Amino acid sequence: MVQISLPKNSKIQKGKYYKDKTGSKNLRKVNVYRWDPSTGENPRIDTYEVDMNNCPSKVLDVLNKIKNEIDPSIAYRRSCAHGVCGSCAMNMDGKNGLACTKPHSEIKGDINIYPLPHLKVLKDLIGDLSTLYRQYESIEPWLKNSNNPTKTENLQSKEDRAKLDGLYECIMCACCSTSCPSYWWNGDKYLGPAVLLQAYRWIIDSRDEERKERLKKVADELKLYRCHTIMNCTNACPKGLNPAKAIASIKKMLATS
Amino acid sequence: MKNDNPTSPHIQIYNWHISSLVSISHRITGVLNYILLILICFWVISLMLGPESYQYFKIFSDSIVGKFFIIGFIWSYIFQILSEIRHWFWDMGYGFELRTTKITGVLIISGSFILTIALYLLSGVLI
Repeated sequence: MVQISLPKNSKIQKGKYYKDKTGSKNLRKVNVYRWDPSTGENPRIDTYEVDMNNCPSKVLDVLNKIKNEIDPSIAYRRSCAHGVCGSCAMNMDGKNGLACTKPHSEIKGDINIYPLPHLKVLKDLIGDLSTLYRQYESIEPWLKNSNNPTKTENLQSKEDRAKLDGLYECIMCACCSTSCPSYWWNGDKYLGPAVLLQAYRWIIDSRDEERKERLKKVADELKLYRCHTIMNCTNACPKGLNPAKAIASIKKMLATS
Repeated sequence: MKNDNPTSPHIQIYNWHISSLVSISHRITGVLNYILLILICFWVISLMLGPESYQYFKIFSDSIVGKFFIIGFIWSYIFQILSEIRHWFWDMGYGFELRTTKITGVLIISGSFILTIALYLLSGVLI
């Protein structure tokens, strides 16, 4: 359901201000969303003054610097730091992306960092993605060709393989789904761009034998057609993929089959 | 399971893009046009009932408020039509590249204003 304002327990309060202690002249203010499940208080925005002279280029580096040198209590997900694992997906400067690939020099003014939008917050910048993972499971993201098991390799023509380009690169970071207003309002029923792109990845795979069943399963007013081509997903994707186009391709297949 | 954890901010913090702006405007103008159809019916009825009743509409349409409404509705229709043309192309699977959506988005917004002014001026000449 459309709910523009945040519920009472989610209203953001002013938080602590961490003044610079290094005496650096090259400072930037970093505003970070904080919520501690153990206190029962509302979320708050803490502001950190960060010495940019001794800070590498990405937003994740800024967060690491804060955690290592200013405030070790800050919580966020990260792993590979090379835009491959998708762990450090968050909202920076009003747009979703991976903290490890987003240069802080691209952000003008203060650096504002929030968790991915419209998720239940677990702690600080960590949102609960279990609904999305459940939806991912529901599209059965694995190859189904049990009717004709081959004893040799399952070959694909170059053209068929090319159909998977722009789909297989998805790292399931959830930047797209959590940027989508339709997913905000109907996240429990609408599958969202990330899962629909994955659904299309299996629908279009020439080796898969259950294309019809897959299409039938996803052809649903709420699951699929809540996409209104707002294009926030494609704008947000840190891998440069096009979930909106994948969703349109599913719609087109349904309309023409 | 009841989850009392806070919800992270969404529309409050998310940047507007041209595509999202056009999308929400498409919805709003869609609703407006629906209401406008009813008003057009009243207009036609007043026309059917003869010069006296049409006079009331004329007084309204000549007032500043009336002009504002009429120009606003012309814009609303033109915006909806232009945006709908883009939706046709999308439905056929074309025009999803980020650059293309940006260009078509700007074309829809600027085109809607230009065509509105043109149509209004033209109607002034013709009538």
